[in-house]
Amino acid sequence: MDINQQHRLKSYCLKAGHLILLFIAMSIICLPGLWIVLNSFRPTVEIMAKPPVWIPNSLSLDHYRAMFGAVGEGGVPVGRYFMNSLIISLTSTVISMLVAISGGYAFARYRFRGKSVIFVTFMLTRAVPGVALSLPLFIVFARVGIIDTHFGLILAYVAMNVPFSIWLIDGFFRQVPKELGEAAEIDGCTRWQAFWKVEFPVAKAGIASAAIFAFLTSWNEYALASQLTRSVYSKTMPVGLLDFTSEFTINWGGMCALAVLMIIPALVLTFIVQKHLISGLTFGGIKG
Amino acid sequence: MKRTVLLATMAMCLPFGSAVAGDFDNVTLDAKLIGGQQYEALYARIAEWEADTGAKVNVISKKNHFELDKEFKSDIAAGSLGWCVGSNHSSFASQYPSLYTDMTPFLTEEFIGEYVDSNIAASMIGDKLVMLPRAQFDVSAMYYQKDLYENEDNQQRFKEKYGYDLMPPDTWEQVSDQAMFFADPPNFYGTQFAGKDEAIVGRFYELVISEGGQLFNEDWSPAFNSEAGVRALDWFVKMYESGAVPKGTTSYLWDELGAGFASGTVALNLDWPGWAGYFNDPESSKVAGNVGVVVQPQGSAGIRTGWSGHHGFSVTESCENKEAAASLVAFLTNEESQMLESSAGPLPTRKAVWTHVVEQAGTDAYRSEVLTAFQSAAEHAFPAPKTPYWIEATNVIYPELQAAILGDKTSAEALETASEAVDEIMLENGVY
Amino acid sequence: MKLLPLRLPTWFLLLLPAIIILLSVVLIPLVLSLYSSFTPYKLTRPETLYKWIGEYNYVKIAGDANFWWAFGRTVFLLTIALNLEMLLGLGIALLVNKVTWGQRWLRTIMMFPMMFSPILVGFQFKFIFNDNVGLVNNALQSLGITDQALPWLVDGKLAMFSIIFAEVWMSTSVFAILILAGLFAIPRDPLEAAKVDGCTPWQSFRHITLPFLMPFIYIALAIRSLDVARAYDIVKIMTNGGPARRTELLWTMIGRTGYVDAKMGLANAMGYASIILAVFFTVYFFRKLSASRSSLGFDN
Repeated sequence: MDINQQHRLKSYCLKAGHLILLFIAMSIICLPGLWIVLNSFRPTVEIMAKPPVWIPNSLSLDHYRAMFGAVGEGGVPVGRYFMNSLIISLTSTVISMLVAISGGYAFARYRFRGKSVIFVTFMLTRAVPGVALSLPLFIVFARVGIIDTHFGLILAYVAMNVPFSIWLIDGFFRQVPKELGEAAEIDGCTRWQAFWKVEFPVAKAGIASAAIFAFLTSWNEYALASQLTRSVYSKTMPVGLLDFTSEFTINWGGMCALAVLMIIPALVLTFIVQKHLISGLTFGGIKG
Repeated sequence: MKRTVLLATMAMCLPFGSAVAGDFDNVTLDAKLIGGQQYEALYARIAEWEADTGAKVNVISKKNHFELDKEFKSDIAAGSLGWCVGSNHSSFASQYPSLYTDMTPFLTEEFIGEYVDSNIAASMIGDKLVMLPRAQFDVSAMYYQKDLYENEDNQQRFKEKYGYDLMPPDTWEQVSDQAMFFADPPNFYGTQFAGKDEAIVGRFYELVISEGGQLFNEDWSPAFNSEAGVRALDWFVKMYESGAVPKGTTSYLWDELGAGFASGTVALNLDWPGWAGYFNDPESSKVAGNVGVVVQPQGSAGIRTGWSGHHGFSVTESCENKEAAASLVAFLTNEESQMLESSAGPLPTRKAVWTHVVEQAGTDAYRSEVLTAFQSAAEHAFPAPKTPYWIEATNVIYPELQAAILGDKTSAEALETASEAVDEIMLENGVY
Repeated sequence: MKLLPLRLPTWFLLLLPAIIILLSVVLIPLVLSLYSSFTPYKLTRPETLYKWIGEYNYVKIAGDANFWWAFGRTVFLLTIALNLEMLLGLGIALLVNKVTWGQRWLRTIMMFPMMFSPILVGFQFKFIFNDNVGLVNNALQSLGITDQALPWLVDGKLAMFSIIFAEVWMSTSVFAILILAGLFAIPRDPLEAAKVDGCTPWQSFRHITLPFLMPFIYIALAIRSLDVARAYDIVKIMTNGGPARRTELLWTMIGRTGYVDAKMGLANAMGYASIILAVFFTVYFFRKLSASRSSLGFDN
């Protein structure tokens, strides 16, 4: 065997090893999720079978049909939950981006006393566990009268997402050279115009990545939502999952069907913006 | 027809005497109801009540039981008690003694007399009737796989080994014999039990009673650290150690138990009436057509187990229009409502409806067997201890029970620790 | 016309929205809960909120062995989970980075677990790890690897493993995506130079790639340590701290004490212990982050 051949063999092996490892990793990531998708199409008797039924005997849309069906026959107000989730997640994401852009810009562009203390304090507000925060928050919200409203949950999610978003966005503004904005100002732009025309476009990718994190957090949040929402007027989908549980039973197939409805929009959104997400995070890591 | 009777009874206690349509015009009641498939059908009737009375019902919360419990506690804490009608459960009711009002002033004795007496007794806190029971009564009976008992080989081998005939168990000792006899882990198990939270404490509680013991003394000091208590806990330990129950049983709650029996891998299963239909439905269960039900076994003291509970509706103390609220609650638990709910399987809490469902079952052999078993199960039923600290006490008891079952401690040690912890709760709350 | 010469600095105006929102949604409730941790506050008896009992709750916690076990277990879980997530995330990012085709799809798949609500992850793994009819035991038995029903959620070690597995499954994506972003940013020149100088792949990874990735890794660690408490939803559904307190964590303990037992005063005192824990981890990683940044000369 000449050296060339040996070399080629080695590189083949490496390549194969790489592919196998990649395949295993992706399988472990996907399987539990795909299992949920599969379960949403299978009758409960097959999901919990013993001996196990590996190859589904029958696939059907029964769980979906039941879910969209009438209340009392397995129906769950999915449409309402979906709209609530969408409204709350989108609005809170947009608001937290606005707040975070302004805050991040302040941290990136201005020098002031106690900057790092303020910064760390901001971060730490995010470190409060939801389970410890939910009751005091509930009492305050109840006094103000914003329990069971979209507004209440939006406010809570904005607060939850702002610290982390500020941090990411702060990093992006820092990597935009100060001189760029200053040059624009010399050219006769106001500070606002300079920000909007020069600095914002450069940081756009970063804002997109902060936004997707914020959206996914709000979309999936449960601990606060379960405390601050009550009726179909404001319940979000993660809280709606619990509609499939009752005192003695869990309708796991039905829960999976709702879960699939939750995952699809998030997946589509991620697929669309993932390019920005990566490039955004790339800049954010280095500076900041 | 029954509704007119109800309205007539209402009329006797209403200040203005008349209970005709439009009686509660412009009244709006906010309600917090338990959600979930088996509970929803009844709520369709609310529209009927609205039409009859002119009132409006606004369901401001619909959650499962545990979430609702959390919500009630938060409401009490925040003082957000502007609502009128709430779903309630006999095992949880005593936790919020100040939340709900006494309903007796709004109902006639005759009307209350139409409910099963023991259910009404379980709906009282002190002498306050805090809830009216709906047709969601729960007590456990013993489900079993019939063919195991009909198999002649099994009968013969069992008799040789234990010296008595193989029959569906009538004592807890027989359950333990048979469970060990049938067990073939990990493919097949003799029995199983709920292994965590309030559930296992409830199971322990009923076994303590059937062994002749008590969970609490008269003054609510713990009484389960006794010989009867140790015997009861030892039963669980024995089942676990011998492999007669699945190794995961201490992580099971009701849904896992139901799924386990339906998967055909468990011989005997003490479980709730709500599962009867599920177990015998080929769509959901592999043991369909092979399910038998008998009344729950008795312990060494000759007492049958019978930890029970029921759902109901309550009216808040802070409700502005208690008459209207009480009328709604009475309507949701009246004869027609209970007929509707119990037609889907759950057990009623009204005498007349019991008679009716038993008649209805008629030629359906399985349904008759189920109803007969649960009817006698209901005769031995007793509610969870009525102290506001019941749920809190279960939370310190169950980790100790688990520790004994898993072999971390002996039964006596576990009960000693649990008893001390319960004692501390009672002392801290100034119970004695 | 201005009567007051007071003019707020621009930076303050820009930060104002964030400050107002965080004050109202986080700080006010926190002050309330700090106060209540000095009372015997019981949810079902609101009047207890006005009874001051000083540091009673804290003393009680300090002497409670169960609490300290839960505390230790939480630290253990965090340490193991965060480290595992970091290593696996690094591995996955390296694997994906080498792929030349279909990266868009791979990256989306890589982020798949991020679409799952923690509460859903809890249910999912509860069923997967069920000992009688669960996916894992069924697979092991079908493949003939074991004829036992492994009690995944019951045995002390296996239960901890199951929880960590669920948590790692859910959160490794965050590491992978951030580290991948870091890999994209690595300048090519030093790597090429190393190759020319005859460095082995391992050497160039160890001395060039890894130091460059460190800021990204610390960012991911900091982000994760900020919201580790999300694991509460998972643990609550999977084991709820049981059996026999074998998987009891601070959060499950707080949730049960506060809501089920209704002892909010005591729960809030425990809550402060868990906040201090989160603060410690966060501050630690922030420091590491700025240290690794300055060693690369990125700080400004």
